[in-house]
Amino acid sequence: MICCLVAESSTAGTPAVLEAVARACSPRVATYGADAVLFDAGGLGGLFGTPEALALDVQRLAAERDVAVRVAVAVTSTAAWILAHARPGVTVAVHRETDALATLPLAALAMLPEMALAPDAPLRRRRSARARHFRMAPGPDADRSSNVEVRTSKLAIAIIERWGLHTLGELARVPRADLHARLGPIGVRLHQAACGEDATPFVPVEETIRWVERVECEWPIEGLEPLSFVLARICEPLSARLEHADRGAVEVTTRLWLVTRDVHVRTLHLPAPMRDARGLRTLVLLDLESHPPGAGIDVVEVELDVAPGRIVHGSLLARPVPESDQIATLTARLGALMGETRIGAPVLVDTHDERQCAMKRFSPTEPRNPRTSEPRNPGTPEPAGVGALRRFRLPIAARVVVEHHTPVRVMPSARGIPGGAVVACAGPWRSSGYWWALDRSAWDRDEWDVELADGGVYRVARDRTAGGWVIEGAID
Amino acid sequence: MKSTALLRLESLLQEKRFGETVTRSWLPEPGVSAISSGVTVVDRALGGGWRRGEVSELVGARSSGRTSVLLSTLAQATSHGEVVGLVDAVDRFDPVSAAAAGVDLDRVLWVRGPCLTVESARSDRLTEAVHRGLRALDLIVRAGGFAVAALDVADVPSRYLRALPWTTWLRLAHANEGRDTVCLLVGEAPMGKSARGTSIRLDASPQLHQWTGSSPQSRRFAGLEITVSAGTSHPAPRTSHVAHHDLLSRR
Repeated sequence: MICCLVAESSTAGTPAVLEAVARACSPRVATYGADAVLFDAGGLGGLFGTPEALALDVQRLAAERDVAVRVAVAVTSTAAWILAHARPGVTVAVHRETDALATLPLAALAMLPEMALAPDAPLRRRRSARARHFRMAPGPDADRSSNVEVRTSKLAIAIIERWGLHTLGELARVPRADLHARLGPIGVRLHQAACGEDATPFVPVEETIRWVERVECEWPIEGLEPLSFVLARICEPLSARLEHADRGAVEVTTRLWLVTRDVHVRTLHLPAPMRDARGLRTLVLLDLESHPPGAGIDVVEVELDVAPGRIVHGSLLARPVPESDQIATLTARLGALMGETRIGAPVLVDTHDERQCAMKRFSPTEPRNPRTSEPRNPGTPEPAGVGALRRFRLPIAARVVVEHHTPVRVMPSARGIPGGAVVACAGPWRSSGYWWALDRSAWDRDEWDVELADGGVYRVARDRTAGGWVIEGAID
Repeated sequence: MKSTALLRLESLLQEKRFGETVTRSWLPEPGVSAISSGVTVVDRALGGGWRRGEVSELVGARSSGRTSVLLSTLAQATSHGEVVGLVDAVDRFDPVSAAAAGVDLDRVLWVRGPCLTVESARSDRLTEAVHRGLRALDLIVRAGGFAVAALDVADVPSRYLRALPWTTWLRLAHANEGRDTVCLLVGEAPMGKSARGTSIRLDASPQLHQWTGSSPQSRRFAGLEITVSAGTSHPAPRTSHVAHHDLLSRR
């Protein structure tokens, strides 16, 4: 049993009032547009009595909120909707839908939610060269696309009225198959509505819940340590509510009202839904540690944007990787320690300049099948990370003596690297790029691998433009 | 299956309350998990690989192959779908070399320390970098779920590490105990100062560096031959295994 409320006149606050009235009666509510609400009235007999009493109570509840409404109660949503829109006051037609609808004019069908909310498309009709007028039935030479031409309810209702049908009762008596043959799916839908049948099941909409907790302090909070206790008081009930609703926070907004009447707002985007109170508190605190408020705090408010809880399916064959919330907490802690830009996963840059490197957010969430280790042939070399370079991000300037186009002696400017004669060397490997750029990103250089007398193997490079030498790293 | 004599010896040591320190067999027991270093000779010295739940060391001089073995270890772990953490104390990690070594970069948590020229940096900045690196390593170890948590202080002079209180390493070993993480310290000299864990020392004398080709233009750095010594993480490692191994060059 469905009850439909339609506001007599719509104002800005009407949708909220209608929804509040509906939710006061039933938890299963569906809203349509700005002036209509449906709710499931099944099983409310114990509370309200008969359907007539329910309808009158609903009308009274709306009137108490200064909104005049039309109320209709029927077994189906479609019947309740049409009756509430077509008839003023209270209409109860439980198990009498066909009779109640029979006397209504065909124009009432234009009020159906899927019709009323559809864009009012212009009544364009693609006509064939031979047919210039509406036809009551497809002619012998009509192609199959003629059914598709009827796309709006207004056009379909106009066609039905041309057939001499004026009420829903008259339309309900027409065979449905014939309507489908002439008007297509929209004809079937109109026939269903005339009979008071639903095309789709009733789908309730969940109530919009604000996931917010707020604490007003008697004395201003100075420092993060006392704030952590307040945040614990806020995060624990939020976590319990999330657990109860099987939700997880994906965004945390912290608002701090300061004694200076400023509002310090911080928003954290979480990589995965979280509901652990300690984790949430730690993340908020770490964020505030790196972006502290400028004065004492009067009011603390934490608001969450939530998403459905995660279902994690572990593997029996691979070792578990850290959970997303664990990684979020860890990277936040590491970011507070080392700097947010110093944490992440390394990324190769698409360039021939091997000095370039980049980072991205560390999120190894994608499960990966472990590579099966194959027995290695003793004769083949191991695929170890060999000849690995330890790159000096700040290259060390050096003086290099060159004889016969080959470095023979390296004298670094830094005291930590003992210079000396070159025992062996290989090179040069020449590379250049960005020569077309106007800024200083262009490079043109020769690289050498040199082994010095102390046993260290280094990579040195000569800038062919400026002529200077640098030590770029050590091969280890 | 342990021999009867070994079981009897362990039970005797446990009676003397030495059970926690010296009864651990040198070779990994069946069922004890280890991560291969990817280098046969190192694995052989380790008795199968780096043992999880322990703090191990990889030490040696510059150009002795420490970074190559570290990257090989990371490659082994990531190739099995595990994630690794690398605390790069003075920002010397080269992603190009790592990718060439087979490391799955998406599964590496790279924690970059300050960008310092260690060779000429002020001592207070180096000390701060080491302290931060240790705290970052501790956070990664305690977070759990990482196959390898490595601290790369290979370019930091050993005097900065010797200046750390000895309880630092004990605390780290305690934090990692019972976890599935290999805590790996990469440095110039032994630093663990703990009876637990394994210390691998790499030596690559200049005579063992291999170059091919006759002229500089055709020559290439072909690799280095390393000498592996394994022992406990004590400052004076007991050499238990010495072997030579070739590490081939990328170029």
